[in-house]
Amino acid sequence: MSQLSLKRLEKSFNEARIIKGIDLDVSEGEFVVFVGPSGCGKSTLLRMIAGLEDVSQGEIEIGGRVVNELPPVQRGIAMVFQSYALYPHMSVYENIAFPLRVEKLPQAEVESRVQAAAKVLQLESRLQHRPGQLSGGQRQRVAIGRAIVRQPKIFLFDEPLSNLDAALRSEMRIELMELHKRLGSTMIYVTHDQVEAMTMADKIVVLDAGTIAQVGSPLDLYHKPDNLFVAGFIGSPKMNFISGKVRKADGTWATIDLGALGVIDLPRTSTAIAGQDVTLGIRPEHLELGDGEFTLETRPNIVEQLGIHTITYSTLPGGENFIGLFEGNPELADNQPVRMSFATDKVHLFDAKGLAVY
Amino acid sequence: MTGTRSATIFALALLAPALIYILAIVAYPLVDTIILSFTNASLRQEYDFIGWANYQRIFSAGNFTEVILRTFIWTFFSVSIKMIIGMFGAVLLNAAIPGQTVFRILTMPPWIVPMAIGIFMWGWMYNGQFGMISGLLQNFGITNGPVAWLAYGNTAFWATIITDVWIGVPMVTIYFLAAMQSIPKDLHEAAWTDGAGRFYRFRRITLPLMVPAIITMSLLSLIATFNSFDIIWILTQGGPSGSTTTMIIDTYKTAMGSRKYGEGAARAVVISIFVTIFCIVYFRAVRKLQQGEAK
Repeated sequence: MSQLSLKRLEKSFNEARIIKGIDLDVSEGEFVVFVGPSGCGKSTLLRMIAGLEDVSQGEIEIGGRVVNELPPVQRGIAMVFQSYALYPHMSVYENIAFPLRVEKLPQAEVESRVQAAAKVLQLESRLQHRPGQLSGGQRQRVAIGRAIVRQPKIFLFDEPLSNLDAALRSEMRIELMELHKRLGSTMIYVTHDQVEAMTMADKIVVLDAGTIAQVGSPLDLYHKPDNLFVAGFIGSPKMNFISGKVRKADGTWATIDLGALGVIDLPRTSTAIAGQDVTLGIRPEHLELGDGEFTLETRPNIVEQLGIHTITYSTLPGGENFIGLFEGNPELADNQPVRMSFATDKVHLFDAKGLAVY
Repeated sequence: MTGTRSATIFALALLAPALIYILAIVAYPLVDTIILSFTNASLRQEYDFIGWANYQRIFSAGNFTEVILRTFIWTFFSVSIKMIIGMFGAVLLNAAIPGQTVFRILTMPPWIVPMAIGIFMWGWMYNGQFGMISGLLQNFGITNGPVAWLAYGNTAFWATIITDVWIGVPMVTIYFLAAMQSIPKDLHEAAWTDGAGRFYRFRRITLPLMVPAIITMSLLSLIATFNSFDIIWILTQGGPSGSTTTMIIDTYKTAMGSRKYGEGAARAVVISIFVTIFCIVYFRAVRKLQQGEAK
């Protein structure tokens, strides 16, 4: 049974519809990541679950109970804010103890819970410090500590790592994943960083302009994106898109005219796409140097040598940007012709509406 | 070398207008007052230096200590009431209520109306025969006959405080409102998700985080209120029978009323000493608060 259910959830601010009818189920113990570009409504959605934003329409159920009208504290959630929201005038101890003080728990209980949280988060030696004396990562841990002591059913994280530098971010990412394993609680995590989403999530919810673009496991989304938006959003570097027109679709093969690049035959059962303008998607990491099943010649204007791999940036005759990612350090130079190829089974195809065609 | 020198001259040239202004308006009168306080200057053409005699006289005549005490009590109540009302006002103006902007604008008139006009208005309201307050109290049957609020020592004392509070509250409210709005919204939301109610959040988050603003405003208000002259002078001229005579009124009466310039100067010097102490406390507090923030 799902622990959290969103049913036809909507949110409007005056005339603007921010969340446009979202249905979602989250099971107990799942690590769910809401990901999407700025302004897609992911933080609003999280704040609605938390009870910080009113619901315009639809229902939020937690543990089988509709919680639309309940204040945050009665929903069994705890939230970690992007800014950490630590109380600057209180010690780390009092920050972590804050929710317990609100509950008026006896001091002995407060002490044991704060100490337990501090131990988990390695904050024991910092308990008497003020938040201002801590590093970014430690502040983040205090904010998590404040959530842990409440022993919530669901943890909500609103872009918790976005204020940290890159090195600390990957460190905290691992800590959070370990924490999730140890506590076994449901966690809902908002981020705009698809790498965080891919590495942490059991289930990713990709949001686009207030609607769900796709829900699935990280590898589902990577290998079988439902639409152009998800295909472009998940994966780094971004998937390459090439415009084309379907010349023929006989139910087994689709023949697509790619203009100056030539013609490609893809195994597709759909006949509805015949005559349509379509978009071909190929991930940079699925390109190979040299000739292959479908070969094209590019002239990279920038070549980035990263040691572990090499990235080329070129422009196709149709004006599309085209990125290639190759293992190791092949000898490539700027503005020199490079032949690269890809296998047709690696190609994604999207119809005129941007939906995937299989 | 030349570069440094010309830079110094340029800096001095830029500072000169301000420096001359301060010397003429602040330093010269201050030094002159201190010198005057050691003389028996009056309407006579000449005067003699009489050492500490003025100071001995004002402190041995019992009423000066009474005036000092009264000034402190008057200032204490006025500042405290301003801070409390200002805080309530800021909380109300900060609440998400419809027409918030209108309410914010409505707090400003006491500050915008020229002070003398505001004070005269209060003078009329306190009037026993024609005053609004007396009239209303009679209409509601709370008092039997007219009450001339400024005619009795006790009521005049509070009447002047109320008027001072009325004029001073908008500034305090707006300052507190600004301080309140600078507290990140996240802190309140975090506390709200943890189950903290309005009053709990106010007590444990808003108030502690506003301590710097409260200290700063209290001290600034203390300095201004301690020297408040126009309100008392226009309403009561320090009366009846000295019940609203604060140090500044007392000084004015001595120097300008009785034409005892030397003695008046001595009284003014005592005020300056108090105000200087308040200023030192203020600057130290501000420095400490800034250091606290830096941590």
